[in-house]
Amino acid sequence: MSDKHQSESDNRWFELLALQEHEEADQEGAPSRLKARVYSALLKKQEASGPLRTLAETRTNGYGLCFFEDLWEQVTSAEGAQSYNCCSVCHARVLAERLERPPIYWAHCPYVAFGKK
Amino acid sequence: MDQGQPEICEIEERAATGQERSDRELVAEVLRKDRKATAEFVARCADSVYGYVRHRLIPRTDLVDDLVQEIFLAAWENLDRFRGDSPLRNWLLGIARHKVEDHYRKRLRELPLEDEEERLENSPSDVPDLEETLAKRQAGQWTREILSSLPETYSVILLWRYWEKRSLREIAVQTGRTEKAIERLLARARQQFKKRWNERQASK
Repeated sequence: MSDKHQSESDNRWFELLALQEHEEADQEGAPSRLKARVYSALLKKQEASGPLRTLAETRTNGYGLCFFEDLWEQVTSAEGAQSYNCCSVCHARVLAERLERPPIYWAHCPYVAFGKK
Repeated sequence: MDQGQPEICEIEERAATGQERSDRELVAEVLRKDRKATAEFVARCADSVYGYVRHRLIPRTDLVDDLVQEIFLAAWENLDRFRGDSPLRNWLLGIARHKVEDHYRKRLRELPLEDEEERLENSPSDVPDLEETLAKRQAGQWTREILSSLPETYSVILLWRYWEKRSLREIAVQTGRTEKAIERLLARARQQFKKRWNERQASK
């Protein structure tokens, strides 16, 4: 077999192999701890460029708040507190960034949602 | 605490009732820095990005988490450019492709390409038959295992050429190498890959 022919035949074989393997890539889910880590990094980045949307606005927007956020909304009155990322001081975040499907069961906690398939 | 709320997250709730926000709506909320929308953004796109990156970074799977995070942060920086012409996942995969190619470029620039020990041999000229001998799933698994076992330059060049479908010229330009050097590297990589594949097939 000539080098050129060999190379073309190799190319076709590898292209087919890549195609088959590529189809499997979409079937894998990201680990929940990675989603948690990415989410935390995004919120940190968002906060760095100004305040987050307030908890009240988030609620109005149709999203539920978790127990801790709910409590935070009720007890804090200082300016800026409503935009604070209270997840940054929550144990759920710490667990979720380190454990796959952590033992957290609060409704409306994004870190819990990441563990659900 | 709102005891009346069902024990189900918003994302699932909306999906179950068919009220999932469109990609454009979601992006608008994320741009307003809505924390829950940001969570939905991650939940909606992370699986696709992770699957893609994980398969493209073989054998450096230790870098996958960092790169996935980098992709999402880059997406946030550029989110105002999302027009909704294509699904959000695809838009993010576009960013992922750039990041993966940055990784390939960096590795092929850093690592030595010539391996004196591994000259081209008169190797098996016939390519193994994919269709007849293996189920798709097994072919995928063998592919990943063999790519993981090869020297990193070989995995990178194979993935870049066949998975990312870049020409030898494009790779040469991006890495600052000659086209001939890239061609030789690719030939050696193919040879080693086929050799390992045939060894597996023989012992099957």
